[in-house]
Amino acid sequence: MTVTSNAPRRATVPQAPTRKRRVSRLRIRNTLLGLSFIAPNFIGFATLTLVPVIVMFYMSLSNWNIFGTSTFIGLDNFTRLAGDGSFRRAFFNTLYYAGLHIPLTIVVSLSLAILLNNKLRGVAFFRTAAFFPYITSIVAIALVWNLLFSPDYGPVNEILRFFGLSNPPGWLTSPDWSMPAVVIVSTWRDMGYYMVLFLAGLQTVPRELHEAARVDGANVWQRFVNVTLPCLRPTMFFVVVILTINSFKIFDLILVMTRGGPGQSTTVISQFIYRKGFEENEFGYASAAAVVLFFLCIIVTIIQFLWNKRREI
Amino acid sequence: MNTRIIASAAALAAGTLVLASCGGSGGDADGSGDATTLSVAGWSVATTPEFQLLADGFEAQNEGVTVNIVDYDPSEYNTLLTADLAAGSGPDIITQKEVKFVTTFQEGGQLADVSDVSLPAGIGGAESYVVDGVTYATPYRQDAWVLFYNADLFDEAGVDTPDGTWTWDDYEEAARQIADNTDVNGTYQHSWQSVLQGFANAQSPGADLLSGEYGYFAPFYERVLRMQDDGLQESYNTVTANQLTYQGEFGRQRAAMLPMGTWFVATLISQQAAGEADDFTWGIAPIPQFDASTTGMDNTPVTFGDPTGFAVNAALEGEKAELAKKFLAYAASEEAAVALAEIGIMPAALSDAVVDAYFGSEGAPTDELSAFAVQTHDTKPENPTSNRTTAIQNILNDMHSAILSGSTDVDSAIAEAEQRVANEVAAD
Repeated sequence: MTVTSNAPRRATVPQAPTRKRRVSRLRIRNTLLGLSFIAPNFIGFATLTLVPVIVMFYMSLSNWNIFGTSTFIGLDNFTRLAGDGSFRRAFFNTLYYAGLHIPLTIVVSLSLAILLNNKLRGVAFFRTAAFFPYITSIVAIALVWNLLFSPDYGPVNEILRFFGLSNPPGWLTSPDWSMPAVVIVSTWRDMGYYMVLFLAGLQTVPRELHEAARVDGANVWQRFVNVTLPCLRPTMFFVVVILTINSFKIFDLILVMTRGGPGQSTTVISQFIYRKGFEENEFGYASAAAVVLFFLCIIVTIIQFLWNKRREI
Repeated sequence: MNTRIIASAAALAAGTLVLASCGGSGGDADGSGDATTLSVAGWSVATTPEFQLLADGFEAQNEGVTVNIVDYDPSEYNTLLTADLAAGSGPDIITQKEVKFVTTFQEGGQLADVSDVSLPAGIGGAESYVVDGVTYATPYRQDAWVLFYNADLFDEAGVDTPDGTWTWDDYEEAARQIADNTDVNGTYQHSWQSVLQGFANAQSPGADLLSGEYGYFAPFYERVLRMQDDGLQESYNTVTANQLTYQGEFGRQRAAMLPMGTWFVATLISQQAAGEADDFTWGIAPIPQFDASTTGMDNTPVTFGDPTGFAVNAALEGEKAELAKKFLAYAASEEAAVALAEIGIMPAALSDAVVDAYFGSEGAPTDELSAFAVQTHDTKPENPTSNRTTAIQNILNDMHSAILSGSTDVDSAIAEAEQRVANEVAAD
């Protein structure tokens, strides 16, 4: 690393042409060195992500069933999407899922993080326990939660009945409750991961600020709102952005838990894309839906960035 | 820090990555002009013995010919095969696992015209591979849906076993008596849409999956909802939430009847032999009928089932294409059919010799009705050969879960499905 820090210093002495040549050679060498560091990652990213994404934008304007050549059909796919009741349903369901999942996950994981930030006996154990769902196989999670939510024999409804609820919801078998049920499971699964992020953020909150607030007579809630939350803003921003994108992209959990049912009550955009593309071989139409999802993610992220920037000043 | 070492390490890593990304393409199929080697697409070759059996039989008939089976993952078969074909490295023989994908391959120009391959008379399922008068594949296997019953549980309940004259009313009545007189369920209906919609499509007068009108499903759904509510069968919600298996429910004697495809015969025999299923007497009856006009052993009961077939890669030429067609003819022949039947697979070409071979294994039912049920049926295709079938089946699957979970009433769910088919599935 000494080479890189020396380079600009030497370059500031513009003298003999021999030295100049050496400097430029050094610069080229440094550039090549830098590129060679980036290359392994970039080549993988370009072949597996960048090129397919660019191709997807073209495919969304074409009619392609994977074999042979595609025909360019302009914006036809998008006008068809706008009139497609199933897509509108999937779009709404995606927003519904995100609207429920994002705030719930933030509240739960932040509460867990604050709780486990204290010096408790066995805190390491509880932190690990909370992280466990995140590293568990999603198929196993779906299987177990399906059993837990079973309307007639499931423990969840057994407990609800024990507490006097005579007519507990059908959970995954009811169109009104299937999405909340999926949100409960995904919150349970994700909370450990975001808890770790919040725990890291909480370490950066200066103890002195808390002490000063306490001296000024602030109670626990006031200290949380006026000290902890503002100090957590960078972490919170990161969590919200990642959580939002992940919520819009939700796919695997729904596929293994409900397959979008009952009816279309849990069909989301990713699943719509999968169905149209890989089941019905309408790759052009599926790409158009993917483009919509892409813009949904990017617009929301840009809004979050702008909002964060305004708060920063 | 030695920059040279780092630089060379990074360059090496980059180089490896490039190589790895290039070397990933599959060399599965040999598109070579070698006219003595055929590659055949298959799946789960270790547990699906039919491919090796047909390959060995064909090699024995044709000296010097080698048949290689390309093993695909069964759950992603069509996706993987599509990817290979699109990349131009598909197998010579394109096995058609599901009829609803035939038009995808055909419209994509992947399948050769095999209209000139001669097939045994009366072979089932051949018409599923005809598009606009041209044959694109030939069937070798065709399962049909029948009714499995547990004779011991019928005896225990004091109910007469099926005699081939049943309509769905008789079936419901028998299930009711068994549920009343024993502590097991009258029947078990698996969660697949086929188990209900397949029968409605095959048997209802004027039923047509492609028509966009689905009122004919209503009586079938009403019956199943009634049977669920009365406790004659496990509810759809329990079946899906607890992930029940039909092998377990019938094999462990938790239900006395099971509408299922003939592939279950071989499974049940082997599971009873291995002790995975209880030891009980069972038989096969024709599936209950829509009305009395097709019941009885002097009639042909109507059921449904899709064939499995072989198609020839359109890229093959000359001698190799001829060899591939020869393989198709062999796989559909009676000789191959008897060999398939001996290992418990229901071939598309049925004859007395085939049925004898099918029931020849130990543990198979020996009664006349079982033989009749397996041999005699008018098998309607489950998936009509059309490029609209997959999209329509997806919509009808949503309807299926909406109705059977009890979340939408029958008429509104059917109306919604009709509306979706009209709005979302292109007319043609």
